[in-house]
Order: sequence, then C-alpha cells, then structure tokens
Amino acid sequence: MLWHIVQRELFQQFNSLRFMFAILVIVFLMILNAIGHIKQYKTRQIEYRQQVSASLERLKGNSDNLYNLVVRGPGELSKQPSKLAFCAQGSEDYLPTSVFGWSAGWGRGDPTYKVSGLWRLMYDVSPPITAADIFPTFLKIDWILIISIVLSFLALVFTFDAISGEVERGTLRLTLSNSVARGTVLAGKFLSILMSLGVVLLIGMLMNLLLLSGTLQLNGQEWGRIVGVSVVSLMYLSIFIALGLFVSSLTNRSATSLVILLLLWVIWVLLIPATFGTILSGLNQPLSTQDHKAQRSSQRKEITERYEARGLYDHVPTRVRPPTDATLLWAQFLNEERRADIRLNKEFLMTRIHQIQVAREFNRISPTAIVQYAVESLAGTGFQRHLDFLKNAERYADAFNDFLISADGADPESPHAPFVREGMSDKPVSFESIPKFQDRVRLGDAFKGAILDVMLLLLFFIVLFAAAHVSFQRKEI
Amino acid sequence: MLWTLIQREILANLMTFRFPIAIITCAILGLAITAALTDNYERRLASYNEAFQTHQEKNFSPKTYSGLSPQLSRPPNPLSLFNQGLDKRAANSVRLRRDKVPSVWEDNYFSTGFDNPFRHLLASIDIVTVFQIFLSLLALVFAYDAIAGERENGTLHLILANPVGRGLIVLSKYLSAMICLLLPVLISFLLALMLQLQSPVIDYSTADFLRIGGILLTTIVYVSAFYLIGLLISCIGRRTATSLISSMFIWVVLTFIYPNASLFMVNHFIETEEKIEQADRGISQIMEGFQREKAKLRDPFAWPFLLEGHWSGSSISRDVTHIEAASELEIPTVKAYYQELEPQRLRAVGAAWLVRKQAYSETFVHRSTTARNVLRLSPAGLYYLATAAYAGTDLAAMEAFFKSVRQYRQTILDYFYDKKAFSSRQWFASDKGAVRWDDLPRFSYQALSGLTEDSSRASGELLRLLLLNLVLLIVTLVVFSRQEV
Repeated sequence: MLWHIVQRELFQQFNSLRFMFAILVIVFLMILNAIGHIKQYKTRQIEYRQQVSASLERLKGNSDNLYNLVVRGPGELSKQPSKLAFCAQGSEDYLPTSVFGWSAGWGRGDPTYKVSGLWRLMYDVSPPITAADIFPTFLKIDWILIISIVLSFLALVFTFDAISGEVERGTLRLTLSNSVARGTVLAGKFLSILMSLGVVLLIGMLMNLLLLSGTLQLNGQEWGRIVGVSVVSLMYLSIFIALGLFVSSLTNRSATSLVILLLLWVIWVLLIPATFGTILSGLNQPLSTQDHKAQRSSQRKEITERYEARGLYDHVPTRVRPPTDATLLWAQFLNEERRADIRLNKEFLMTRIHQIQVAREFNRISPTAIVQYAVESLAGTGFQRHLDFLKNAERYADAFNDFLISADGADPESPHAPFVREGMSDKPVSFESIPKFQDRVRLGDAFKGAILDVMLLLLFFIVLFAAAHVSFQRKEI
Repeated sequence: MLWTLIQREILANLMTFRFPIAIITCAILGLAITAALTDNYERRLASYNEAFQTHQEKNFSPKTYSGLSPQLSRPPNPLSLFNQGLDKRAANSVRLRRDKVPSVWEDNYFSTGFDNPFRHLLASIDIVTVFQIFLSLLALVFAYDAIAGERENGTLHLILANPVGRGLIVLSKYLSAMICLLLPVLISFLLALMLQLQSPVIDYSTADFLRIGGILLTTIVYVSAFYLIGLLISCIGRRTATSLISSMFIWVVLTFIYPNASLFMVNHFIETEEKIEQADRGISQIMEGFQREKAKLRDPFAWPFLLEGHWSGSSISRDVTHIEAASELEIPTVKAYYQELEPQRLRAVGAAWLVRKQAYSETFVHRSTTARNVLRLSPAGLYYLATAAYAGTDLAAMEAFFKSVRQYRQTILDYFYDKKAFSSRQWFASDKGAVRWDDLPRFSYQALSGLTEDSSRASGELLRLLLLNLVLLIVTLVVFSRQEV
C-alpha cells in the first residue's frame, strides 16, 4: 500500500514544474562548483608542494649541525589540502595553511656567552587574505551552500502543499476514503518527496564528480566520505521535509503554509547560524594578543631571574665530558623556558579555539550549522580539520624533539646535555634520518567528528516527523 | 476613486495573517542581527584602538630621519553594520615605507579585523544581506495573489464591473501593498538603529544619518522592485499556486543564484596572475637598475667601514649612536652618499609604482568593475552596490584610505626635501640629538569624509533600481490591461 502511494506521489513530483526547475538549478550550481574547484585545486596543490619542498630544503640546510636544528627547527609545517574541498571550502579561506615555529624571539647578545631560545611551535593564525579576496562575495558555491541553503529551500517548496494543497483540492478526502491509514499516507508523501529530492541531489553530485574526475583521483576512502556526505545531506533534507509536512498539515491553505515555512526557513537557515553563536561567544573573551605577549615576556623574565639567582650568568657552558655544572644549569634553563613558553602559547591558542567552539555549540540549534560542520569534517576541511592538523603538528614537534635527543645520544663524543650548544653533538645529521612532517587527513577522525552532528540531525528529524504525524492524525478534513 | 481602492486594499492586506507575521519577523531580524553586529563592531574597534595606541607611541620614536616608517591604521566603519562590503577584507593597517608605494591590492598587508582571527570563521551577515533576502521574499509573498487571487475568487470581475480603469487597480494594489510593506521595513530599521545607538562606542554624525537615510531609501526602492516583479508574475499566472511557485523560483534565481554565480564566473574567468607576474618582472628590472646605480656609490656602512662607532639598523634605516672623534672628518662623505642615493631610490620606487598601478588597473580593478557591471543586472546586486556606496564600505571607499596614505607618504617625502633631510647628519646619526618630529603633520583619516562622492556613486545604482521599478510598473500595466479576465 505504502509503495502504491509513493509511486503515485513520485509520478506527480516528476511531472511538476518545480522538479524540472530544481534539477536545472542544482545541476547549474554543481557545474559551476566543479569548474571553480578544478582551478582552485590545482593552484592549492602546487602551493602545498612548493611549501613542503621549501621547508624540506630549509631542513636540509640546517642539518649540517645538530644545534642548528635545535634553534632553527624543521621549518614551516604545511597543511595538506583535502581533495574533497569542493564539498566544503567556505571556511578554508579564513584558516591558515601552515603553522611555523621559531626560536621565539629572545636571544642574549652578551659578548661572554651568546645564546638564543630553542625552536618551538608558534601557531600563527592570521588568515591568508590576499588581493584576490578583495572582491564582493556573497557566498562560496560549494556543496554545503547547495545542500544547506538551496536544497533545503527546495525541500520546503516541494512539501508546502503536500497536505494543505490536497485539502484545498479535496483529493485528500478521496485518498482517505480508501482503507489506508493516515500514517501510511504521511509516510508515503515523505518518502516520495525525499526520493525526488534525492534524485535531484544525486544527479547534481554525479554531474559534479564526473566533471572533477579528470582532475581528482579519488580513492576508496574518499568515496566513503562522499557517501557519508550524501547520507548527512539526505538526513538534513528529511528534517525540512518533515517540517514542511508538519506546517502543511496544520493549515488548510497552501499559501499560508508556504508563507509560514519561508519565514521559518529564513530564521532557521540564514539567521541563526550567522548570529546566535556570534552573540553568545562574546560572553567569554580570550586574552588579547598584547596581554599574551606581556604574559610571555614576564614569564621569561621570572624564569631568568630564578636561574640567575642560581648563578646562571656566573659560568659559561664549556664543551667537556662529563658536562660541567654550568652546562647542566644552562640546559635546564633553556628547556624550562621553552616548556613554559609552549604551555603559554598553547593555553592562548586554546582560549581562542574555545571561543569558536562555544559559538559552534550554540549554532547547533540550527540544522544548517550542523550539516555544515558535519560535511566539513567529512570533507576534511574547516575548523575541525584545522584542529586535527594542529594536533598533527604538535605530535610532530614532539617526535622532532625526541629525534634530536636520540641523535645527540648516538654521538659518543657528545657531553649529552641537550639543548646547550656546548652540551651537544656538533656533528652533521644525516638528512634521511630526520623525521619529516607528513600531514594526513584521517577518515576515523572525520567520522568521529561527524557522529554527534548526525545524531543531532536525527533528533531534529524524529521530533519534527512525530509532530507532523500527530498533527496529521488529529486533522479534521 | 484611487483612494477608495487603496483603502480597500490596505484593509485586505492588514487582515491577512502574513502582515503580523511580517512585522514580528522583521522586528526579530532587525534586533538579532544588530545585537550580533554591534558586539562584533565593538570588538573590532577595541582592537583598532589598542593597535592605534601602540602605533602612536612607536611611529615617531625613531631617532633619525631614515628610521621613520609609521604604521597607519584605518578604523572600522560603524556603517559596516548595514553593509560590511569590503570593510573586513581590505587591509586596515599599512606600514609606510620609503621603498614602497602602498596600495589596497598589496598582498603583504593582512587584515586583522579581530584580535582572534578564528572569529572570521563565524559567519557574519549584515543588515543589508538580511534585508536583501528577507524583504524581497516578503514583497513576493504580498504580491503573488494580488491579481491571480482575485481572479481565482472571481472578485476581479466584480471590481472591473465598476467604472474603474485597469491601470488604477494595479496602481492602487501597488501603493497599498507598499504602504503595508513600509511598516515592517521601518520598524526593523528603527529598532536596529535604536539598538546601535544604545552602544557606547557608536556615535553617528549628521553625515552618517544622511547615509543611513540613503540606505533606507534604497531598501524601500528595492522592496518595491520585488513587489512589482511579484505583481507581474501574478498578472501572468492564471492560478495563485502557479504564481507562488514561479515567484519563489525567480526569487531564488535573483537573490541567490545570479549574484553568486555571476561573481564566481567573473572571478574565475578574468585572469590576474599572468599580468601581475609580468609587472613584477618589470619592477624587478627597475629595482635592479637602482641597485646597479647604488653599487657605483661607496656605501659608508659596508666593510671597510668609513666611520668608527656604534650603529644599528639596515641599509634603509640607519641609526648611528656614537662616532669616534677621528671619524668626524668622514661625515660629509656619508652625507653626500645619502644625498645621492635617496632621490635615486625615490625615483626608482616611483617608476615601479607606475608599472604596478597599470598592472592593477588591468587586473584587479578591471575585475572589480566587471563584477559591478554584472551585479547591476539583478535588483539584489543593485541593492548591494548602492548600500555599500552609502555605507562607505565599497572598493572606492577602501581605495580612498590608501589614497590618503599615499598622500601622507608624499607629505613625509616633501618634509624630508624641505628639511634637506637626506643631506643632514640626522638622516643617519642621532649622536648629536634625535630628530624632533613636532613639525611633521600627523596622519589623520576621516573614513566617512567623502559623503558627496559616496552618495553620487550610490545614486547611480539607486537610479538604475528606480528605472527597473518604472519598467516593471509599465510592463505590468500593459500586461494587465491587455489581459482577459
């Protein structure tokens, strides 16, 4: 019976003007997206490769001496661009494509003993805005825009008269005079609309992927992600279909239901994601950059004074084995300064991240924000991906540090007091043995990041569909 | 007669449920958006003020003439609450250098609208964007059944049975709906403005209020354009359902698809990289020429040093703090070196700037102009362009900042010439006392000074929007009067 209703409804949908129009719009946008992405992907890939080779070049240049590596570090660490950026590239423009570290801006120019700070990660987060971006942009055309705004709007246009329209025409009475449960009618309508939107989405996606297939070679994992994106999108569209059925069953005139739906759509889809989190994230303010700088320098001063009291400046480190007390004291000082500074930098970064995360949590009362976050984490772009990248960079910085200690340990002539110049091996390091930074987009992280969002979407859907069901059951015709 | 018809229409509109919904939604939208934006603006202003303080202290701290390299900033524009335009994208801070002419298209200046750069990730829409989307929708919702509905009900027959011209009917429908639409527009506008004025940091001048008035006027004309589009569709469509669906699709196309897609295509198909690279090659040739000339001169700060003493800085900014008595004899040589070198440097930099300016006007400026022309084909695009000009956040306003920065750079150079600074000891040395910058004029930039230029740009777009209104009205009148009922 259900299948019978679905068939009837599907036939109606496919023949309607709006279906044709929906296909036209979606295919057009998908083609635009593909054309734009091919160009962007190529430039981004070239940029990434250049960044990586430049940083390897620097690393090679620094490997003539172990201490050079300690002070100058491994160079810039670049974020691997995701192949699936065409799904979600909106926020990529505002995220840095690399992190770098340096010896953190302090050095002692005292003629008796010249020394500078050790290399550490600095987490620069200035967005890479260039002249090309000084251009009026309303919205970036990516899958997120197409799905979360255009298709959700289409979902409402497809559903607004599903029940109220049939009431107006009087056909609902006819349908219900058959021996068919109201729940089945509702489910049939839901399924048929979901299927026709699914067809629209599928045609658009295939068109897009077909155009991109020449440039991108997607592997199995990436196809898995695309399937994930389409599942999330269909769930998102289900929410709007359920909302449309709910409102449509509340009213007896289709025009009324469309007006109500459009207003709800503007508020829920456009307004809330852009305002709600922004307002509430203002409640907790991270430290300002200047305060952070002041905090860092006062901390360094405090540590220096503490070590000065222990006689840091009284003796100069010397290259003897076993290391002298002065060498050990300097080693202790340099390591502690770096550790404390890294801690402060990290805390500062975390408060900044926290502010955004709070905003994102609040934005999740709109499914549009949810689907954006979910698609972003599946596509390996956006904020969550950036955090994963920062984690990768941190892990690499630790590995690099471990490597320095083990490389020093391997040299029998070294006094083994890292990281003082005199306490370390002064031999060149073989470039091959240095760990290289390799950023990866992991599938596990993506699904883990998306799972909460998927559950929230499901929750929205269940609530709205239940509401539609109840109001349809109680409707007098 | 017209008045009777208008009264009837207004009553009919007021009685529908969409009117209260429109009022309530508009009020909510105005308040919510403004609350978010005001907070946002306050934060940007705070980080500007902080940066400004530091620059103020540091800008005139150099002790020699050659060390002067002030950092100049552009305050965030409070009217960006209405239309943010390029206010957050174009650079808001420039370091003035002798060896470079600043321009808005320079890559090296990054914009720091927020202290926390991640905040760019949080979508921020301005009042105009919300109006652009929501008010056009509202206008179509008011219009879709204006004629098709009456035809369906059969009341159109009834009205036309009276001795009223068809033109009068269309006109009365248009005027009454505009009166009804004006109410939600004004309410949300006033609420937004009131909320903004509550903020301690927003202080609008009379000129700003004129600009805001321009934005309000444009909004009304924009709403009217969409109402007329809806009315036309309602005339053509036989049934309300058809006219509703077609209105919605036309709305999607005009407000979402056309502006985004056309901008995208302009951005995609106008190549910029090649010409910029070509210009860069030309510039590096000019600079190499300068370097060759420079190499002919004997650099006093290259080994073997001419002076004995202590100094710091680079080849472009030098600060000698101590000179041994024996080296005093060499001072005239150093002075002569700089007197020869600096004018040459400025000439080379000026020539390089001309090349760059040409390249920019062929690439980025050309692209922006094309984008503007393309946007003009959609009422939503016209609305955006006009309000950005009124708010002073469009490209011309951003360029105005850089223009005044360039003027200030020229002021400094003139000041150097006046003081004969290049051939003075204080150009490179501060051992006989630091430079006193008291008589150098300070940089001041009134972001919203060019009201007349901004509004003349805006009125071009506004006139186009009005023309569109007129055309739509005439077409509607013609279509309706030739139609069978």
